[in-house]
Amino acid sequence: MMEMEDDNPVVSESESEEDEDVKLSEASKSAVNNKAGLLDKLGDISWPESVDWIHKLSFDIDEENEINVNDDLNRELAFYTQALEGARQAFTVFQAKDMPFLRPSDYYAEMVKSDAHMGKVKGRLLAEKRKMEEAEERRKARDNKKLAKEIQVQKQRERAKQKKDDIESVKNWRKQRKQSGFAGNDQDGDLSLAFEDGKSFERSNKKRPGVTPGDRSGGKGKKGFDNRRKGREKKDSKYGFGGKKGMKKQNTAETTNDFRGYSKNKKQKV
Amino acid sequence: MGKKRKHSETEAAANVNKEEIAPERPKRTLFGFKTKSEDKKENDSAPGFRNKEKVLVTCSRRISFRYRHLMLNLVDLLPHCKKDSKVESKESKGTALNELVELRSCNSCLFFECRKGKDLYLWMAKCPSGPSVKFLVNAVHTMEELKLTGNHLKGSRPLLTFSSNFDKSPHWKLLKELISQIFGTPKDHRKSKPYHDHVFVFSIADDHIWFRNYQISSGHTGTSQKLDRGDMEKMTLIEVGPRFCLNPIKIFGGSFGGPTLYENPFYVSPNTIRSLEKRQKAGKYAKKVKAKTRKKMHELENPLEVDEFADMWKE
Repeated sequence: MMEMEDDNPVVSESESEEDEDVKLSEASKSAVNNKAGLLDKLGDISWPESVDWIHKLSFDIDEENEINVNDDLNRELAFYTQALEGARQAFTVFQAKDMPFLRPSDYYAEMVKSDAHMGKVKGRLLAEKRKMEEAEERRKARDNKKLAKEIQVQKQRERAKQKKDDIESVKNWRKQRKQSGFAGNDQDGDLSLAFEDGKSFERSNKKRPGVTPGDRSGGKGKKGFDNRRKGREKKDSKYGFGGKKGMKKQNTAETTNDFRGYSKNKKQKV
Repeated sequence: MGKKRKHSETEAAANVNKEEIAPERPKRTLFGFKTKSEDKKENDSAPGFRNKEKVLVTCSRRISFRYRHLMLNLVDLLPHCKKDSKVESKESKGTALNELVELRSCNSCLFFECRKGKDLYLWMAKCPSGPSVKFLVNAVHTMEELKLTGNHLKGSRPLLTFSSNFDKSPHWKLLKELISQIFGTPKDHRKSKPYHDHVFVFSIADDHIWFRNYQISSGHTGTSQKLDRGDMEKMTLIEVGPRFCLNPIKIFGGSFGGPTLYENPFYVSPNTIRSLEKRQKAGKYAKKVKAKTRKKMHELENPLEVDEFADMWKE
């Protein structure tokens, strides 16, 4: 069983290795590396040379450059490329040998992961996707809000300007009338003198939201009925209206087991 | 008498016939009958070779759930393995395991040894004549993790890919042979399935062997077994898991014992790492006391100058 002789334990020279944080920085000198013994053992266990590849299914893949283990992304990429290269080579060999290797679409068999597990995986993927979409939506809404604010400010400025212009034009009109000595005084309500911009005065027919047509306060006045209603609702929610009255003081299973209010040291009311 | 002789003659004739026919008889497979040419090829390569690898997979007592799941994942991946109940991890476990392997008529063994509930060691052994390797297992991710989205047939034979630096030195060569024998599913194993849809990666990086398992998804549909160039280009892999990283500690000549053939010169046991960490953290109080006395000494050595304005506002 243990026929290996230990006659030439070659002490390993420090093979050029870069040191890692968990590794010894320098190779320990006493470490055994019996190369002859290793090769001997390899000869013992290895299969005969003539064994067909189909028994082994193994490939050696060259890697272009040294893998940096601490760079997760590149490390995984290196493994992935190794696997992909291997799979491609294997498939070409299978194809050359005319062997079946692709699973037909109607071949159902037990899989490594159960359907329940795969359902979970799918659920997670969907949840992730949904989360991303939601975040996107939120971001869009935020942007929209910002934009809306800007537009609002612009509108207000425009409105102010319009008002100023209107007042100015009325003043001008008055001045003109004065200059002309109230010429058309007798003609009843003649407003035919044009304003500056050529338009005669007209009411803007824009409707404002939340303002009733006859409302002169611009929707800022108190809405008597609604207001009162709201107050009533608030009071109802605060002091209670309707519903059972008595049960509030009754003990439940939770409250009986709740000893937070009880203290041994505090004097209890008898 | 004559009758008897006749009988024997016919039997002999039958035998002769059988011998002539036997190699020519097409073998039955799932798809019908195997082609003759294929059979011939097999016979050419290695007459009489049959891979009868059987792996015993077991673990020590008090193994943590994560490592146990890893072991179960491997059991799922290796259709040619036998799982056994837990084994007490003590000094004499080697002989016990050897016996167990023989009892279950296996010829190799994967033994997951968990120490202190946090360090996982993996023994890979060829029984009964060795060699055996002890690894420290790092960076374990089991198949249950939801990030690994692939899936493949249970029992389909894996393709093994090794990075080219396995041929650098003798111990890597030995490990490669060991791994390819243990992880490769024997051809025509009764539990194996006739298609290939996953690939194992064994890669050496930073003196560790990294393991990955990918599902091969070729964008191929239909029943024909032909892949053109475009399909090859389009082929993608999806990781199935598990993931782990093996750090070889020692290679022994026998199974679970025997002369040491190789020792990792860079290996530091997790116990030493932890104790170093602890030592670095320790001595907080002693440091404080030291600092205090040092400060006192410093103050005594360098007294402050007398402040001439000290009692200026006293009066």
